[in-house]
Amino acid sequence: MKDDRMPSVEANELRREFKAKGAPVVALDGVSLRVGQGEVFGVLGPNGAGKTTMIRILSTLLLPTGGWAKVMGFDVEHEPEKVRRVINMASGAEKAGYDFISAKRNLWFFSQLYGIPNDKAERKISELSELLGLTKYLDRKFYALSTGYRQRATIARAFINDPKVVFLDEPTIGLDVMTARSIREFLLGEARRNGRTIIVASHNMAEVDAICDRVAIVDRGKILAEGTPEELKRSLGAPALVLEVSPPQAAFEMLAKVPGVKGFTSSTEEERGLTTVEAVVEDDAAARGAEEAIRKEGFKIVASWRKQATLEEVFVALVGQGFKEREGEDVA
Amino acid sequence: MTSLRPILASAWMGIQHDIAWTTPALSVSLRAVAPFASAMTVSIIYWFGTTNGAGLFVPAGLAFVLIGSTLYAHVASYAWVPTVAIAEGKNLSVFPHIYITSRSTAFYTAGRLLSAFVISAITSLAALAVAYYVLGSFFGTQIPIVVNPWSALLLAAALVVNIPGALGLGYLLGAYSLYASKFEWSLPGYVAGLLMVFSGALFPTTILPWPISVAAYYLPFTQFITAARGALLPSSSTGYASAMGLCLAGGVCLLALGLFVYFAAEKKARKDGVIDRRLA
Amino acid sequence: MVARALVRLWSIFGEPLWVVVNMGFPVLSSLAMAILYFSIGAISYVGFAVLGGVMISFWGNVLWSMASQFNWDKQEGLFEIYLTSPASITAILVGMSVGGIIATVPSAIIVVAIGWAIFHPVVSASWGGVAVTFGLTLASLYAMGMALSSLYLAYGRQAESLNEVLQEPVSMLSGLYFPSLGSASPFPLALQAVASLIPLTIGMDALRKTLFYDNNIGQVAPDLVVLAVMAVVLLYLSKFALKWLEHMGRRDGTIAVRIR
Repeated sequence: MKDDRMPSVEANELRREFKAKGAPVVALDGVSLRVGQGEVFGVLGPNGAGKTTMIRILSTLLLPTGGWAKVMGFDVEHEPEKVRRVINMASGAEKAGYDFISAKRNLWFFSQLYGIPNDKAERKISELSELLGLTKYLDRKFYALSTGYRQRATIARAFINDPKVVFLDEPTIGLDVMTARSIREFLLGEARRNGRTIIVASHNMAEVDAICDRVAIVDRGKILAEGTPEELKRSLGAPALVLEVSPPQAAFEMLAKVPGVKGFTSSTEEERGLTTVEAVVEDDAAARGAEEAIRKEGFKIVASWRKQATLEEVFVALVGQGFKEREGEDVA
Repeated sequence: MTSLRPILASAWMGIQHDIAWTTPALSVSLRAVAPFASAMTVSIIYWFGTTNGAGLFVPAGLAFVLIGSTLYAHVASYAWVPTVAIAEGKNLSVFPHIYITSRSTAFYTAGRLLSAFVISAITSLAALAVAYYVLGSFFGTQIPIVVNPWSALLLAAALVVNIPGALGLGYLLGAYSLYASKFEWSLPGYVAGLLMVFSGALFPTTILPWPISVAAYYLPFTQFITAARGALLPSSSTGYASAMGLCLAGGVCLLALGLFVYFAAEKKARKDGVIDRRLA
Repeated sequence: MVARALVRLWSIFGEPLWVVVNMGFPVLSSLAMAILYFSIGAISYVGFAVLGGVMISFWGNVLWSMASQFNWDKQEGLFEIYLTSPASITAILVGMSVGGIIATVPSAIIVVAIGWAIFHPVVSASWGGVAVTFGLTLASLYAMGMALSSLYLAYGRQAESLNEVLQEPVSMLSGLYFPSLGSASPFPLALQAVASLIPLTIGMDALRKTLFYDNNIGQVAPDLVVLAVMAVVLLYLSKFALKWLEHMGRRDGTIAVRIR
């Protein structure tokens, strides 16, 4: 997407280390990116990939230990006050708010921290509540709201100051399908109608695929690939191979030795007595090779088919493992 | 953009937090109980010690202790509010969102402190008034506290002049709360205790050994209590002006120090990534 | 019970700085009151201030780490886990009490050590009487904390305000730093009668008699009997109140409601 205007977010070799017993932990390892104005930009990766660290640096909560980043042309390290005038953020995991006052008063309070006059704040609260389906619940105390409505209120707060750039960290985590869809529709509307740049950090591939103009796939502090969701999926070449294998099996190391198999992930359903394996393959020959390797080990392939690539398969192709395996490895 | 809005909104939030959990009249009355009881305790110690020990019970001495004990409680109760506001903000996950606003957290903590000042002033003065009558009744004596428009004005001026010092102390405590994630809830106990010993609240600072007595004498809180006594006690009125001057000068210095430490802590917290760290 | 006591001890002794943190107000308030007695020529009563500092450590622990603990546990989602486990709530409370007493002892020792080092208070003690009186005072005080914890469960974030309302008035009425009962008390008889309902009042009076006036166990026996009865009654009351509140909470759906 060519955009000659100043980028809304720019980072160059951004790096962040945290002190730890032993060697320091590198949360971001030389990340560079450029996001245009009005884009919805996704940062996709497993837990611990560095998504939240990136958001924290760009929203001025955290200083980088190397490199630089700018938001709307202002340096996040040296001009944080100027950055804060044009941004806002929300985190899905937190549902931040004062429990002892209503949702409306929470929104009003934050509007005042941005110096918004009362009449303008009232209009903005009304408008955002309407768009997010929050109007009926505005006068309820924050603690009395259900998870979904607390999250809507949190999202509303992130737009109360008409920010040019909004950072959202897992905005729909833990929400039901309908609420998550409402929030995504709202975010798309804000980007398209009002030209806001929205940076979404998530490990929800469907969400990122649905709303993002461009996506950066991150792992272990680095950007592995960047592009539109379609570009990234097309980069795999052949559609993925899906196999249902019996009896259930935890590991399929034999696939790693098959030429043309770029990576794979698996999940077991004990009730059905099957393991489902998804392998990212270069071509049809690699797909046949993968099936033969599994049969050679004495497993039965109950069903097999090819499917349209997902962003996780892009990740698997880049790293050799799925999100689940990657997070399990990091924990171990 | 006006800076007044964040301060006023934060003050409003402080009032919601402190007294809006029940009817304002009830919550303010309940908040007056602690300073009243504290003043009674200290005054009774004075009475008991002088009537059973080698000293002499003097109504002016009782007044000295009564005024000091209510006003040290006033300072102790509102100076630590920035600590509470920051710790509560981290607990509720709102603190990082306040931090990234244009005016950031310094205005927020100032607003919270100012609302606490107003509430504390009302409750402390109410406690002083009630303790005055109760003690007079218990001990069958007239406590020589002067209350007229002039003394009320002088006392009000002393309360206001003490704000910079309290704000400075609040920022110093807040700096700890900003960076740390434990023990901040225990700071108010230390603040109250230190003020009890070193602010001339219960006894003259000259009782303390040198050079501690000198340091204690020049604390803005000591001068505030001296000025308050100057306003309310006929025997102490000559020291009022100098006490006000020292209180203001000391308070401004403490405020400057507090702000310096607070912003340094904020910068370090941002560097170390603890602004949005939850409490331990 | 043992598990809950251990949790408390691990949290305190696993972070030794907690001892320094917890001793702040007791040491400083004790110091302030002792200096006040000293400054008015009542040096013989400095020991009252030191004793008051010791007991305020335990009273503060009762209020902040016992009475309001369940309310905080409710906010963190732990209380519903206690309720749905087979463990008795009373056993959990007793465990908290035991852990709280042990965890507060270091602060109390430091108050005594500092008070002794600076003021050398004169004592004339019947140490057997002191030990028994101290033990029964703590038992009844913590039983009161257990009874209060049920009250706090009903009040949510108002619990903090309740602590403020209770802490200083109880300190005053119970005579932490001066006699609140008898001819030396400044309180009218009616108020002394009300103060006598607080275990700490009886305990402080008996402790002063055994520590400073060489009263033996026999001489403070009436006080000891009252303390023992209070401990039993308050323990029973806490059990009943918690059961009732559990029933109300389950009926009204408020057990898991968290208002931060």
